[in-house]
Amino acid sequence: MNTNLKISNVTKIYPGCVANDNVSLEFNSGKIYALLGENGAGKSTLVKILSGVIIPDEGEIYLNENNLKLNSPSDAKKNDIGMVFQHFNLFETLSVFENLIIDSDEQRESLREKIDTIMKKYNFSIDLDIPVLNLSAGQKQKVEIIRCLIRSPKVLIMDEPTSVLTEQETSELFLSLKKFSEEGILIIYITHKLKEVMQLCDEVAVMRRGKLVSVSEIKNENIESLANKMVGQNLKTIKKKIAKTSSDQLIKITNLNFTSEDPFETNLIDINFSVNRGECLGIAGISGNGQSELFQVLSGEIISEKNSIEFNKNYIGDLNPQERREYLMAFSPEDRLEQAAIPQMKIFENVALNNFKSSNFFNNGLINENKIKEHSKKIISDFSVNTDNIELKSQFLSGGNLQKLIIGRELITSPDLLICFNPTWGLDVGAINYIHETLIKINEQNKSIILISTDTDELLKLSDKISVIHRGKLSKIMNTEEVTSEKLGILMGGAN
Amino acid sequence: MIKIVKRDQPSRAIFFFTPVLAIFLTLVAGGLIFFILGFKPFEALKFFFIVPIADKYGFSELLLKATPLCLIAIGLSFCFKSNNWNIGAEGQLTFGAIVSGGVALLFYEQEGFYILPIVILAGAIGGMLYASIPAILKTYFNTNEILVSLMLVYVSKLILDYLVVGPWSNPEGFNFPETRQFSDSAKLPLLFEGLRIHAGIFLALAAVVISWFVFYKTYLGFQMKVSGFSLKTAKYAGYKGKKMIILVFLISGACAGLAGVGEITGPIGQLHREISPDYGFTAIIVAFLGRLHPVGIIFASLVVAITYLGAETAQIFMQIPKYTGQVFQGMILFFLLASDYLLFFKFKFIGSKK
Repeated sequence: MNTNLKISNVTKIYPGCVANDNVSLEFNSGKIYALLGENGAGKSTLVKILSGVIIPDEGEIYLNENNLKLNSPSDAKKNDIGMVFQHFNLFETLSVFENLIIDSDEQRESLREKIDTIMKKYNFSIDLDIPVLNLSAGQKQKVEIIRCLIRSPKVLIMDEPTSVLTEQETSELFLSLKKFSEEGILIIYITHKLKEVMQLCDEVAVMRRGKLVSVSEIKNENIESLANKMVGQNLKTIKKKIAKTSSDQLIKITNLNFTSEDPFETNLIDINFSVNRGECLGIAGISGNGQSELFQVLSGEIISEKNSIEFNKNYIGDLNPQERREYLMAFSPEDRLEQAAIPQMKIFENVALNNFKSSNFFNNGLINENKIKEHSKKIISDFSVNTDNIELKSQFLSGGNLQKLIIGRELITSPDLLICFNPTWGLDVGAINYIHETLIKINEQNKSIILISTDTDELLKLSDKISVIHRGKLSKIMNTEEVTSEKLGILMGGAN
Repeated sequence: MIKIVKRDQPSRAIFFFTPVLAIFLTLVAGGLIFFILGFKPFEALKFFFIVPIADKYGFSELLLKATPLCLIAIGLSFCFKSNNWNIGAEGQLTFGAIVSGGVALLFYEQEGFYILPIVILAGAIGGMLYASIPAILKTYFNTNEILVSLMLVYVSKLILDYLVVGPWSNPEGFNFPETRQFSDSAKLPLLFEGLRIHAGIFLALAAVVISWFVFYKTYLGFQMKVSGFSLKTAKYAGYKGKKMIILVFLISGACAGLAGVGEITGPIGQLHREISPDYGFTAIIVAFLGRLHPVGIIFASLVVAITYLGAETAQIFMQIPKYTGQVFQGMILFFLLASDYLLFFKFKFIGSKK
């Protein structure tokens, strides 16, 4: 029973961008296919078309020679196409079983039997009767996979499945995927991680700017060749200059705790660390382990005990972000569109969000628009934000340009410490390089950085020291030279 | 074939066009209703919208009704722009009227230039006090301001009822549910002989100018704007989000309270049961019809004020209940919300072009 999935001349145009430009591809069961590309290359659009979420402007999809009309996700399900999205679609407060029964038309008992069989077959062990919020990311993903398997799909699409997984969970996932493939399920694996493609897949299709650039067998490729295809140019590699270690302490966190009332937040438990001048401390971890809370505690969005944070010989634990800025701290939050900037406001208005005293943005309670605009122009040119119109609403900036604007806004005070959280999340390679270079430059000027990131490669590249956060606790601080990504992976999973 | 497509960005032109479209659709639908009721649609609409303001007296009445609407809507715009859903302006108006009326009664049969300012101030403070209840409950106890502010409307009306029937009722008033008439020093001066339009209109105009200035020119306004778009961003920028919430409620309450003062020290001249024909609720429509912009609110308050007058003339000349006015107000809001769809979507006519 072979499955053949054909995408023929699919085009999807969004205002100002061609997400899929006449893409044709053919898949056969028995193999695992990788769909590789940078953010914005159009791979998500393509799989959303396959799963009925997006309707293409032109083109056809054939499953075993049948022309499919996929107008909604339920059409895809009916045609045996299963999809596991990057972000889980689960009800956190419902039990695993309740989540699984929601979109199934089977009887409770027979469904339970079916799930038990599936779990036995693939060695999944999940308690069906506990609420989903108690599961780890890897387990949640398994629930999503089981949800697809219940319908015995012919095609299983995985969209960036490893972004929330530990190394160990990733290898477990790969084992399962290989098993599915042996059983005749056609697997399409979407990713931008080259290593995973090499490890898992048999064939790889590379997309760039909406176009399909190549289809090839893995055995004929290596990481460099794939990277160059993906980016379309030879990658410039940034090597961090090893900073001279100074012993001049800038910030010291002592016995810092945070207990949240919100069950979806993570408590921080007894955080202790210090950062010296000119140093970059990286904090690794799988997302949802307390990074967001740690960032907020450091930025002052969450106030803590006065003595728990010592910065430049001042105790500042009880100060709010604006007051901390006066001590020359700067912050770049993870969420560019909902926190670091307001998309509906103009560029120069967003610049005014960093209102430090000497800026004179606001005099006697009145807005000093000229001053703000002057400042904004400087940021735009100093940090190569690709626009010359500061009256533009910031929603029209690309992610990379918006991030440059935010980093520029934060750095314009020449702060002693920059705290950033996933600064290159979702950016293209060019912007990532720019941000990385900027961060290295900061260190070279003897300024410090706390880099909270879920991207291990980024941390290994930029940090002098690394610690791992797991369930609100920090591991001991290690020198980056002594650390490998495997070791980080183990710590991220919670082992010692 | 017509296809509906999402706009790349909300259209600015449409932003100002939809209120006009809503009014137009309201007229069409209103005409249709009159037709079904057996009237000639155009004639009926003329009675509703033109006849009431055709003479000097009518125009003065228009401004008289528009004044409280405008004042309250300006206050509400502070709340709505920062995503605080204060729908209890009617209660804040009533409580403001109670406090200022009480103060005015203290000065019964007294004269003095200082009396009116104190009375006005008392009204503003009354409105603020009343608005601070949902604000504080929201910020410190996570209650829903929609429910609290709405329920407090009925509480305030019952307090007013009790006062005018009981302790504050006019001793020589034959048990009518009303207080004594305020002294002339406690009343807003009339602007023209024989017309009811009074100095309260200047309060409304001042509110328009001040709100424009605060919102577009001051740091305070900037902080409110940011807090309205995203509380997370406000927190990150170091603004005091909770204080901001309380502040917008206070501003909104003060404006509603002032509107209450305008009513009882203007055309009414005393406290009784019916001091407001639901101005506090209708002002919500005014605020949105005016796009929460000070200038827009001026126009919107005039348009909505006509529906009050039109309803009265329609009752007199066409023998239809004056509640028709509320039907029109409802239709305006209905069509406004519906045509807001055009902000985010547009119709695309697909021809033979492939």
